[in-house]
Amino acid sequence: MGDREDPNAADTRRLNTTKQSIEDAYAAPANFLEIDIANPETHGIAKKRYTDYEVRMKTNLPVFKLKESSVRRRYSDFEWLRSELERDSKIVVPPLPGKAFKRQLPFRGDDGIFEDEFIEERRQGLEAFLNRIAGHPLAQNERCLHMFLQEQDIDKNYTPGKIRNT
Amino acid sequence: MPPSQSEDQEKLLEEASKEVKVQAFEMKRCLDKSKLMDGLKHASNMLGELRTSSLSPKSYYELYMQVCDEVRHLEQFLLDEYQKGHKVADLYELVQYAGNIVPRLYLLITVGMVYIKSSQHSRKDIMKDLVEMCRGVQHPLRGLFLRNYLLQCTRNILPDAEQEEDPEVKTGTVEDSIDFFLLNFAEMNKLWVRMQHQGHTRDHEKREKERRELKILVGTNLVRLSQLETIDGNRYKKLVLSEILEQLVSCKDYIAQEYLMECIIQVFPDEFHLDTLDLFLKACADLNPTVNVKNIIIALIDRLAVFATRDDSAGIPDDLKLFDIFSEQIAVIIQARPDMPPEDIVALQVSLINLALKCYPDRVDFIDKVLETTTEIFHKLGLEQNLYPHSFFCLRQSKQSNPVAKELIRLLKIPLDSYNNILVLLKLKHFGMVVEYLDYEGRRSMGKLIISNALDHKTQIPLQEQVDQILLLVAPLVQDQVDQPAEDDPEEFAEDQSLMGRFLNLLEAESADQQYLILTAARKHFGNGGNKRIKYTLPPLVFSALRLAYRYKELSEEDDKWEKKCQKIFTFCHQTISALIKAELAELPLRLFLQGAIAAGQIGFENHETVAYEFMSQAFSLYEDEISDSKAQLAAITLIICTFEKTSCFSEENHEPLRTQCALAASKLLKKPDQCQGVGVCSHLFWSGRTTESEGEEIRVGERVVECLKKALRIAKQCMDPTVQVQLFVEILNRYLYFFEKGNDKITVQILNQLLEKIREDLPNLEDNEETEQITKHFQNTLEHLRMKQEAGESDGPSYEGLTL
Repeated sequence: MGDREDPNAADTRRLNTTKQSIEDAYAAPANFLEIDIANPETHGIAKKRYTDYEVRMKTNLPVFKLKESSVRRRYSDFEWLRSELERDSKIVVPPLPGKAFKRQLPFRGDDGIFEDEFIEERRQGLEAFLNRIAGHPLAQNERCLHMFLQEQDIDKNYTPGKIRNT
Repeated sequence: MPPSQSEDQEKLLEEASKEVKVQAFEMKRCLDKSKLMDGLKHASNMLGELRTSSLSPKSYYELYMQVCDEVRHLEQFLLDEYQKGHKVADLYELVQYAGNIVPRLYLLITVGMVYIKSSQHSRKDIMKDLVEMCRGVQHPLRGLFLRNYLLQCTRNILPDAEQEEDPEVKTGTVEDSIDFFLLNFAEMNKLWVRMQHQGHTRDHEKREKERRELKILVGTNLVRLSQLETIDGNRYKKLVLSEILEQLVSCKDYIAQEYLMECIIQVFPDEFHLDTLDLFLKACADLNPTVNVKNIIIALIDRLAVFATRDDSAGIPDDLKLFDIFSEQIAVIIQARPDMPPEDIVALQVSLINLALKCYPDRVDFIDKVLETTTEIFHKLGLEQNLYPHSFFCLRQSKQSNPVAKELIRLLKIPLDSYNNILVLLKLKHFGMVVEYLDYEGRRSMGKLIISNALDHKTQIPLQEQVDQILLLVAPLVQDQVDQPAEDDPEEFAEDQSLMGRFLNLLEAESADQQYLILTAARKHFGNGGNKRIKYTLPPLVFSALRLAYRYKELSEEDDKWEKKCQKIFTFCHQTISALIKAELAELPLRLFLQGAIAAGQIGFENHETVAYEFMSQAFSLYEDEISDSKAQLAAITLIICTFEKTSCFSEENHEPLRTQCALAASKLLKKPDQCQGVGVCSHLFWSGRTTESEGEEIRVGERVVECLKKALRIAKQCMDPTVQVQLFVEILNRYLYFFEKGNDKITVQILNQLLEKIREDLPNLEDNEETEQITKHFQNTLEHLRMKQEAGESDGPSYEGLTL
């Protein structure tokens, strides 16, 4: 530029873009999705002892039937979800937090997998896992994910399939 | 990745900052060697540190400041090159090859500014280019700081002229600058608002806090706009304000709205505000319901009120109906916000009153209008007056003062404190109606404020209607209220009532007749105050009435009915004092009767003797029936005797029984020393007492005086306690001497000698103590007096010859 002729005028010309409407500019994001895992509770005794967690979800994504939901799930449910996705969806499914076999050995001085510390560690792992999956647009179409997140009981004999965005 | 917690923040910032230092060092080294391309590469690397998402706004700001400092070296280098004639051609295009958008745009802005500073060619295009290109960064934090960099760099170099200086080189006009800032503002506001949607909802509050820390970045756009000198009122209204308000209203974000509305008020000049009030206030009505509109409007009003009263300002233009505009728009805002807390509604009215008082000090009607509006709003809110037990605005609701009541008192206090004249206050027809919305405690404190104000400013109340109005206004101080607590704090109560007693002295009409009306009106109100209150309020009323009677006497030549009027006043006093007797008081009414008797005697209207006699006899019967404590009895009878001694209105026919009654009462006192003193005092009645027959002269019945004193002496001799006895002797001696000197020939030196002898005999036998010492001193003084008299000879007074000292 400066005191010379401007031979590149055509190259630097701006493209005409349509102006963003003021409503769009300030609209809340249309892809809000938040999943929290909280309130771990340990039930049963001896061999039947297990811990489950509250899975709370809030979203404004149209693909989900409920905008807010809360269900209780245990580790094996997560394993089920992961295997369903691995089989049916095309996404690379992230790993679950480890099963902690060592903690399940007998004659431990502590509570093993029922120690508060461990439960918290696992809770964080499960929360990260679920947020990554649920945030994936392809996983969002899987029936198994919807059942896992929004239905009180998981019907493991369901018919796998896709949910279309209405 | 979301920003990490604080301990990580320090580490992250430290790492980034270290990298910036390294790259900046390399950049400067290359530039020193005039290796421009390498220098740009390091600059780009350095700016690349601003791509981070892990820093909190605070840490990001620190990093940004550090980077900006370093980029300045690059800018200076480029400017110097340009100055030296080394053309840095194609640089603007060249930097656009930087791989990442954040460093690319920072470099582009830097280079663009060098172009504009070194020659104004294409300034207009570069401005437009830059402000548009910054759209490339949509991450809120990064975008906000990038655009802040743009604002920083463009300080003082944007066009601020009506006309293009040279259309050939496209320097641009003020309107280009306006567009530039408005676009930048809209984009920054968008990013700022969007920041709220980032991250987890549980961090909502933390994010709000972070956003507030960044508000200045957005507000800077408005500051820059206000610094453009070529913007006139018209441009402001049409181009600037309407666009800003559209963005603000549309963003629906309360943090942005609260801050930026306040910003508009503070950065733009008052004249602009005056011209755009409608626009601005309408926008206020459209803001997010959670926005505290009250604060915005109050800020605006306060600013305009200051402007109106400033010496160097042109003031509010006459054709601008400032009060009406605010009044209407505030009504619209209140209507549009059904959830607005009542205390905020009242606070708005407070600011409206402030505006009216500052800008239109003479318009009492404006103030009244605000009060009227307030009552209307309360009415609409379904609040009822006079339902005291369920009163909404309890000042002491659960021991915490209710915010509405507090605001309401503030509202009512403003006209009170600014007029400092409660008579003006009475012109506000709706003042009382608003007061009625307060609970007992609220009305009581309001009443105290009103009365104290009148007292502080010595506001005289000259009309009966005004007295009625005021006493209704401060009703909780005048009589019992339906909603008052069962137990009042006695100290506070006494304080309140003393205040009312003082206030009564302010009731002062110009004409005597009006004053009488005032007193009867006041009597009616205070008469309902109950036994606890009237002992404070009725006495000043009696005194005021007596003053009025004296006033009528002075008017006797102009007013031929003055005597009748005086009679009425004394009837009034009689009734008022009797009300105190009914309240089971005795000493107070006794004294008031005596005061009345003196006044009646002095004024001397028709029938005054009967009145004075009645008052005296009332005092006597109070003494006989109601006063039983011996100390109080002595005090009361002494007062009665002394009062009686002062009168001169009684004929012998009335004087004789009263005097006898006094002597009788005195001799019937319970304790001997009291009897002795009472009888002693009585002796004066027979000397300096006056009757109508004596025509104002003292009656001077020497025999009776001596009889009294002999009797006193006799009683003193009956006292068992020798100390008391001697004390009484000395007192009686003094009385003898008094009458002796006045010329009572029934008193002889012989009598005096006897008494002196007696005292001299008894005094040394007394126990040696403080009392004795006092008595001795009294006696010595008396003797000293006598010695002086003796030496002075016969020239004044009777002869003391033969007195044994």
